[in-house]
Amino acid sequence: AIQSSRFSCVGFPLAYIFLACKKKSMALKLKSSDNKIFEVEELVAVQSETIKSLVEDGCANNVIPLPNVDSKTLELVLDWCKNHVDVKLDEEKLKEYEDKFIEVDLAVLYDLLMAANYLNIKDLLNRASQKVADMLKGKKPEQIRETFNIVNDFSPEEEEEIRKENLWAFEE
Amino acid sequence: MSDLTFSEPQSHIDHFDRLPDSILLLIFNSIGDVKALGRCCVVSRRFHSLVPQVDNVVVRVDCVISDDDSPSSSLSAPAISCSSDKSRNPFSNLFRFFFGGIVKPLQLFTQFLSPKRPALASSASSALLLSEDSDAEHGGGGGGGVTHHSPTQVLKNFNEIRFLRIELPGGELGIEDGVLLKWRADFGSTLDDCVILGASAVFRSPAYAAADAAACGTATGTGEDNGIIPESFYTNGGLKLRVVWTISSLIAASARHYLLQPIISEHKTLDNLVLTDADGQGVLCMNREQLEELRVKPLSASSASKRTQVPALNMRLWYAPHLELPDGMVLKGATLVAIRPSDQSVPAMSKKEVSDVSWVSTAFEEPYGTAAKMLVKRRTYCLEMNSF
Repeated sequence: AIQSSRFSCVGFPLAYIFLACKKKSMALKLKSSDNKIFEVEELVAVQSETIKSLVEDGCANNVIPLPNVDSKTLELVLDWCKNHVDVKLDEEKLKEYEDKFIEVDLAVLYDLLMAANYLNIKDLLNRASQKVADMLKGKKPEQIRETFNIVNDFSPEEEEEIRKENLWAFEE
Repeated sequence: MSDLTFSEPQSHIDHFDRLPDSILLLIFNSIGDVKALGRCCVVSRRFHSLVPQVDNVVVRVDCVISDDDSPSSSLSAPAISCSSDKSRNPFSNLFRFFFGGIVKPLQLFTQFLSPKRPALASSASSALLLSEDSDAEHGGGGGGGVTHHSPTQVLKNFNEIRFLRIELPGGELGIEDGVLLKWRADFGSTLDDCVILGASAVFRSPAYAAADAAACGTATGTGEDNGIIPESFYTNGGLKLRVVWTISSLIAASARHYLLQPIISEHKTLDNLVLTDADGQGVLCMNREQLEELRVKPLSASSASKRTQVPALNMRLWYAPHLELPDGMVLKGATLVAIRPSDQSVPAMSKKEVSDVSWVSTAFEEPYGTAAKMLVKRRTYCLEMNSF
């Protein structure tokens, strides 16, 4: 199935791929962990520093395997990259896009963080981190544990001790 | 990655377990607010071990408490007569800034600003005691009641801070409504430079502005644009007010700088330190070199007061009776003052720098940056000031 106008799955006529190559930017083929192939303009893909260095080293002629990113996440990441290719994009519109983009549930957010980290896409990594940080802000430790399913591995005595140490953090 | 794995068979997975420490640290660095970070410490062992490695911290100070209980501690600008009575100088008592407490922060701060504060005095001094107590001891300062924590104490566990921003609840200078006063100062061991932007009034609407200025009856018509300061500026108190603004700002800046000493000496990893206030009145900045300079060469305190001594200064002043910014904002009696120590160590360089005013126009955020850019194009007036 065609994922979008810019990248498509395998099985697409080869001729199209060559045509795409002839366009201003070369096309790269990325393979997700679940073996889906995404065809992307180089300009879009090299926002990932990881891919960029592969391209620069001449290792991007064949399919680039991305064993740490599944297709669902890669699709999102590439959408992000596509929208950040043109830096001259209206700042307001870009912010609007980013805010909407990052409104995902926690599991997806973690996937994005991992992918952005692995692919080394700084702005996405920062935006996703900021999203989690905003969720941590203004919450009590109990609420944080509940939101993120974190197990409290302190003994009651230890917790009491640490609470005392950080008493200033609990005053309104 | 994580030191603990709870493999309970449940759909609720702790996703943080999947994230490497580096990402978790990135998340903590995006938090900024030191209180939120403090609460994160209590969440789990992993959080507790990572939070102290955070390199970006913002400390929002809730209230400022004066050491001095004198009821005459009014901070209104006109009270500052530069050198006459230093012990009574409003800024001579150093304000320590404290953190937390059950007192409504801004309330306390306003009370501090107002001359009458008999009720506060007792609570303030007791708060101070408590906090000094806990400063000496390690750990939290008592339970219940009025508890204050100094930024030094709050930051104790953070030992890798590179970017620190401290925000006071408000500017120190009591200025009248409608008056604009902003300063930005860079310090090393002492003042490196300072820029002050002031205006006696700020209008919004460009359509009425001209009419307003005329109605106000100032001798300075809008048609005047030769950049020369009108004679009335010297006679109607305009210049005097500018000098008061300048001295007040310098005193506030040097008092803030003095406060930062313990923090700077304790946090050797600091790259950038900003002390600002919620009103956006003053910004004190220190970069890596300036922080290092202070560590190597300690500041000299002003003789009578707990603030850093300000060196002898060269000041350049620009004035416009009526300054209309491109966005329609109008500054009446707009004044820009650029200050540098007169004793520049490298004479050749200082000579060059005297004419270079680019640093002046980048000192403020918009629209004030534009105002500064417009003002420096006007005629420059030079003043000198002794060390104080």
